[in-house]
Amino acid sequence: MTTLVELDGAARWFGAGHTQVTALHPTSLTVGAGELLAVMGPSGSGKTTLLSLVGGLDKPSAGRVVVDGQDVGSLKPRELAILRRRTVGYVFQDLNLLAGLTARENVAIPLELDGRSIGEARAAANAALESVGLASLGDRFPDDLSGGEQQRVAIARALVGGRRILLADEPTGALDSMTGESVMRLLRAHCDNGGTAILVTHDAAHAAWADRVVFLRDGRLVDEAHPAPNPELATTAP
Amino acid sequence: MSVRYGLLALLDEAPSHGYNLKTAFERRTGGSWAINIGQVYTTIQRLERDGLVESLGSSAGDDERREYRITPAGRAQLATWFENPVVAEAPARDELTIKVLLAVAAGDVDVTALLQRQRRASIEQLQAYTRRKAKADPKRDVAFLILLDALIFRTEAEIRWLDACDARIRSLASAAAAPPTAGSKETDG
Repeated sequence: MTTLVELDGAARWFGAGHTQVTALHPTSLTVGAGELLAVMGPSGSGKTTLLSLVGGLDKPSAGRVVVDGQDVGSLKPRELAILRRRTVGYVFQDLNLLAGLTARENVAIPLELDGRSIGEARAAANAALESVGLASLGDRFPDDLSGGEQQRVAIARALVGGRRILLADEPTGALDSMTGESVMRLLRAHCDNGGTAILVTHDAAHAAWADRVVFLRDGRLVDEAHPAPNPELATTAP
Repeated sequence: MSVRYGLLALLDEAPSHGYNLKTAFERRTGGSWAINIGQVYTTIQRLERDGLVESLGSSAGDDERREYRITPAGRAQLATWFENPVVAEAPARDELTIKVLLAVAAGDVDVTALLQRQRRASIEQLQAYTRRKAKADPKRDVAFLILLDALIFRTEAEIRWLDACDARIRSLASAAAAPPTAGSKETDG
């Protein structure tokens, strides 16, 4: 399995001396192509910090974060921006779609920022919308879409142009259970097609779509879960 | 209880015999709720004794061949069952709840570690259910998916309860550690 994300003793702290706050203690972790990783833990345990480091939104105070072969800590701002536009896609709980742009235009933004032609960006946006089951809704504005549809547009935007690493921070937080499940099926399909996704969530039913669930506590990885072999379903009637 | 009403519901659709009832019951309940044929016959005998089903044709035939149909009284009791919610008379005594309560009281048990071991085991169970769900066909396997949803939501509720126990114990510990006037500060992360 190709490693797409690697944390090698990566740590993040803020401030110095006795006011120093450590958000993430030195942490080592690898995530491979095809793998869906869920990160669980209470508020303040370092989940979002970990995701920000992988997404190139923040740099480690110590250790290394390697994303698709690139050491994030050593990248210049311009190179980081390119990493975010071409390799890593982000999906948040708050959808952050631009209300004045159609679904298709929202999805095309990362490619247009990356200097692609409008025609090329548009074609890739259509393909991404199709992959999340929204081929026919490209001309709609976000306000005319349901919460679940908006989140699928956000996923299409995160994946557009073939980005392989999807980072999702509570992507199902505002959705009802069936809609949340359809979002999880999309993340699962992305990974089954050779992509990688890291999902931060407090929702166990959604974390359970992952191949591996890691638990953070007070900035430390404390445990890891893998699917149980063949669970017994209800086998006897009362 | 549910086997009794399950058989009544099946007989309400069409008369049937024991073995058919067994396979239909298992199919309806998601293909994973096995009942043995002996249980089916005992239940039918009780239903017959109570006048809720009656056997068709000669009573000389063997158990396997004998067909049964629902009576008007059986139909009425089935309707009452569907119309009334299922309310547990008393919360079930649950080993995990008791274990956590005793661990908290014991004082020398690492409750946080106990909760995490349980959380990991429950998530692993949830992952396994979810894998089955991912493979199921949403149109063809409706009964199986509804059964899986029941198991998934029950396990999820257990994990939420573990998280709540954990948070309660942590807030007790931090209240004990902090001076009474200091405000608590938490960063989200």
